[in-house]
Amino acid sequence: MSLDAQIAAVQAEIDDAPISDAEAAEAFRVRFLGRKSGAITDLFSQLGTAPPDQRRDLGQRLNALKQSAQGRLDAGLAALATETTSGATDLDLTLPGRVPAPVERGSLHVLSQTLADIQDIFRSFGFAVARGPEIEDDWHNFSALNFPANHPARDMQDTFFLEPPPPDGRGVVLRTHTSPVQVRVLEQTEPPVRVIAPGRVFRNEAISYKSYCLFHQVEGLVVDEGVSFADLKALLQAFARAFFGASDGPAREARMRFRPSFFPFTEPSAEVDVWWADDALPGGGRWMEILGSGMVDPNVLTNVGVDPERFTGFAFGMGVERMAMLRHGIDDIRLLYENDVRFLKQF
Amino acid sequence: MNISLRWLADYVDPGLPPDEVAERLTMAGLEVEEIVTTGPALDGVVVGEVLDVRPHPDADRLQVCDVQLAEGAESVQIVCGAPNVAAGQRVPVATVGTELMLPARDGSGLEPVTIKKGKIRGQVSMGMICAEDELGLGESHDGILVLDAGAPVGVPLADWLRQRAEMPGDTVLDIAITPNRPDATSHVGVARDLAALTGAELVLPEVSVPTVGGDTADQVTVQIEDPEGCPRYAAMIVRGVQVGPSPDWMQDRLRAVGVRPVNNVVDVTNYVLHEIGQPLHAFDLDQIAQSTIIVRASRPGETVETLDDQERKLPEGTLLICDAERPVAVAGVMGAANSEVSDATTDVLIESAAFDPARVRRASKALGLQTDASYRFERGVDPTRQPWAAARAAALLAELAGGEVVPGLVDEVPNPYQPRTVSVRPSRVARVLGAEVPADEITRLLQAIGFDVEGDRGSALEAFAEAALQGTVAAAVEEAGDAGLTVTVPPFRLDVEREVDVIEEVARLWGFDRLPTPASTPVPLVPAGDTPSARLLDRVRQRLAALGFREIATNSLVPTPTAETFADAAWTGIEAPPIETLNPISQEMATLRPSLLTGLVAVASYNQARGAGALRLFEAGHVYRRSADASETVAGYHEHTSLVLGMSGTAERASWDGDARSTDVYDLKGVVLDVLADLGIDDVQETPRPAPDGLTAYALDLHAGGTRLGAIGRLADSIADDAELQAELFVAELDWDAVAELAGRDQPPAYQPISRFPTVERDLALVVPQGQPAGPLLDTIRQSGQPLLQDVRLFDLYRGDGLPDGTQSLAFTLRFGADKTLRDKEVDGRVRRIVKALEAQHGATLRS
Repeated sequence: MSLDAQIAAVQAEIDDAPISDAEAAEAFRVRFLGRKSGAITDLFSQLGTAPPDQRRDLGQRLNALKQSAQGRLDAGLAALATETTSGATDLDLTLPGRVPAPVERGSLHVLSQTLADIQDIFRSFGFAVARGPEIEDDWHNFSALNFPANHPARDMQDTFFLEPPPPDGRGVVLRTHTSPVQVRVLEQTEPPVRVIAPGRVFRNEAISYKSYCLFHQVEGLVVDEGVSFADLKALLQAFARAFFGASDGPAREARMRFRPSFFPFTEPSAEVDVWWADDALPGGGRWMEILGSGMVDPNVLTNVGVDPERFTGFAFGMGVERMAMLRHGIDDIRLLYENDVRFLKQF
Repeated sequence: MNISLRWLADYVDPGLPPDEVAERLTMAGLEVEEIVTTGPALDGVVVGEVLDVRPHPDADRLQVCDVQLAEGAESVQIVCGAPNVAAGQRVPVATVGTELMLPARDGSGLEPVTIKKGKIRGQVSMGMICAEDELGLGESHDGILVLDAGAPVGVPLADWLRQRAEMPGDTVLDIAITPNRPDATSHVGVARDLAALTGAELVLPEVSVPTVGGDTADQVTVQIEDPEGCPRYAAMIVRGVQVGPSPDWMQDRLRAVGVRPVNNVVDVTNYVLHEIGQPLHAFDLDQIAQSTIIVRASRPGETVETLDDQERKLPEGTLLICDAERPVAVAGVMGAANSEVSDATTDVLIESAAFDPARVRRASKALGLQTDASYRFERGVDPTRQPWAAARAAALLAELAGGEVVPGLVDEVPNPYQPRTVSVRPSRVARVLGAEVPADEITRLLQAIGFDVEGDRGSALEAFAEAALQGTVAAAVEEAGDAGLTVTVPPFRLDVEREVDVIEEVARLWGFDRLPTPASTPVPLVPAGDTPSARLLDRVRQRLAALGFREIATNSLVPTPTAETFADAAWTGIEAPPIETLNPISQEMATLRPSLLTGLVAVASYNQARGAGALRLFEAGHVYRRSADASETVAGYHEHTSLVLGMSGTAERASWDGDARSTDVYDLKGVVLDVLADLGIDDVQETPRPAPDGLTAYALDLHAGGTRLGAIGRLADSIADDAELQAELFVAELDWDAVAELAGRDQPPAYQPISRFPTVERDLALVVPQGQPAGPLLDTIRQSGQPLLQDVRLFDLYRGDGLPDGTQSLAFTLRFGADKTLRDKEVDGRVRRIVKALEAQHGATLRS
């Protein structure tokens, strides 16, 4: 039989051979692909006897034959694997588990690492950690924080409202900031209070390289007798030195400035910028906003039953994403939520 | 909001460059987000002096000039083609390297050309003496631009022109106006702050406000039926106007602040709005039925066609401006098409009113229309400024549109403005700010922005007398000194109501940067801890990372169909619908995730598609459901922290001492139970669900102490196919609140003395029917092995040769121990009891 005819015969045999179980698969492998006596191996060894002008063509056909056999085998094995697991009836799930060794070094998300650093610094300054729900009512997210109904201040934060629509228009929301935790803490605790409240917050904004529909904040609240704006400044400066100054980053000196701003729940209010040195920029750098802060508005204290004549306080809030992006030079917030392993493993 | 510096210069001239102006405003609370400069840049163009001019040896029309480009510097040679160049002139010189916009050779407009050092017909030329048009300063190309003889040699031309206010173009500041600054939504408002900050004088345009009544009052009637909504309505009439384009200067200014010029009438109203912050509306008086304006709330079902040609349905109670027959404007938001100024208009009725901020805001929201007018009314306009603004607009119309102002004024004021006074204690200023700001400094700062301040002597005396009666004179003096200042708030600061609002004004003008930063601060003596749940979660995070897992962070908002699929009660243990948002950004993010599996599956798919062959992932975060449970923090909604884990692909890589192995469910089970054991939860009940069920092909539910902790399983094929997963994904999700509650209950472990006696190990090989799960066998061994059995481990599972059909063999290692040295007899007896129990309960036999 010519080599040509043999190839055709083996191809037909391959197509018909059953792979119904593991034994049949192994028999198939030995019959066609075996290195010593496999049919295809045998055909390859005859290639030298063929007329030279046909060798090239025959060689290509043999390679195709081999691929065809390998393909059938792989498909058959895959089908067998599925059969044994998808039914799952013969798996004894009560068998003890095993703890596998790591294949790669694991990692914590850069947001977790950044948040942990921020928390560590504030814990060292005597701050406890408080937490609150991400689904909030109008009172805690807005009203108690001195956002009047029908006031432009409510436009400062694009808000997600939740089903069902409330009859009075004061809907339940995804919290737009961690400030409601201030209210929850003061409702439950008598001053002195010294807490931070980290957590996820939501804004109904178009997604771009600089904004996402959610982010993480760390809120801070200090209420005591004799607390002043000067104390707020001193604390935040100490924080910035600890957070930015610890690294060899460009903001080692942690130059800061406090700009008057507005938040309904603080008065006076300030936004805080750090100087970000960058030789490529005119002026050698630029101011980057890192947080909002201010003296707790007396209305907020009154709303939670704290006497604003006796107690004063300050509050601040910073974005964890912003801090992480500044620190690591990440230029697109969406990277943080894409979870590409090649990104995650860098931290 | 855009502020043109050219325009601003009409009201204040601080003599500062634009970036300095921006800095001062920013540091006083008017944050300049962007500075945009229009007009020619003129970088590299300096004032030069022509010292000598001589004919070019090889070109009739060219001349060779020596030009000095800096005081005391050597002159350079420049070849010039202009006939009017002459020695002694001061001229603009584009130095080498300067980029100019010059006419393109192909005549297609302008193109950038860089001035190079070169030779023109053999003569060196080190720059270019420029004509007006070459600099973008004008149209003229009749020779070079000859500057004033006083122009200082060497200074940048732009500086010289700016100094003489001849620099074309403008600088526009984009200011982020916070909601507490209604006063700053205009050029005059910003100028007021800038004047206060720099000590420069604030100059307002001269406006002659007519007295109320006169011909105007005879020619138009204003009735306010809704005085709550409209505390003031002023009107003036200008007759005989010629509607046409407004002059260039006005168009330039409007364009600079982002307003499209329309015609002189509309432009004037917009101009006054951006000048003083009072929105105006111009009606075509001929279209106002019976020349009557009625301000009232809308009735059910009313509609109006606004200027943008949209028919708009009005919510009931919307504040309307009507004539005798129909609505002609939505108050404070937008005029109606029926009465708008057109080319045919000759007589104009100017509306200058104050409206209730909340009413305008509701209307603006309901109609989805935010206009320059509504923006200002929402924040609150100066309730005393209406006649001034009407008169200002009338005068501009007369000047620019050729109209004649009808004498007099209609000024309906159903709710007259009452000036507000606030008492401010300097001691309180010091307490809030942490710095002593002297009373006279407080007074000076406040007066600079229009507040009236009086030291309140009367109450000071009263306080002194009272304190002196009750205590020492020293205390009385302090008390009296603290009696405070009486501050009258200007009408353009409706936001300032309380002492603390005034303190904020003092602070921002005094400068936050001047406040001290104390080196230490009192700290309350309470433990600064975290919640146990968060503390334990941190521990688990670290542990999982050490086991090779990567933490991911995924969106809480997912598509509604995804949320419905993953709200599977068998997987999550919760039978309740997911929570939808009322106003999603997109369908992709419409509903809150009921399970962290949504994100995990997506991330696994994303990374598999990018070649990740071994995945170990976890995430901790909130999951959410509707709830009828009365104990929820926010009624109707449930949320708790969840922990999800996923594994797929390679479990062990091939290496010199072992083969590669793929992940199976026992890898994930091992990790999950290890994490639980680490938290002290080691008595976990396992309930297999071997058949496909919802999200899983098979699963194992975990309970402890009667509480459901979560489940482990393999993701169902249908879900995996939908997500285009390329390898089996094993998943586990734990209710972290439940886990933490169980783990957190533990007291610190009490020390157990370590036994001094040796332990004894025995192996036990059993034959059981195939399909007999190992878990119950282990449970039986543990129970019947008490009290000597300390540990049991399954070390072998075998099916095949040497065993009866339909059976399998399991082999265990048992470790016994006690507070004494165990004798073989005791151990043997215990093993026999164990075997007996296994025979009785599971039909197991000892393998021979």
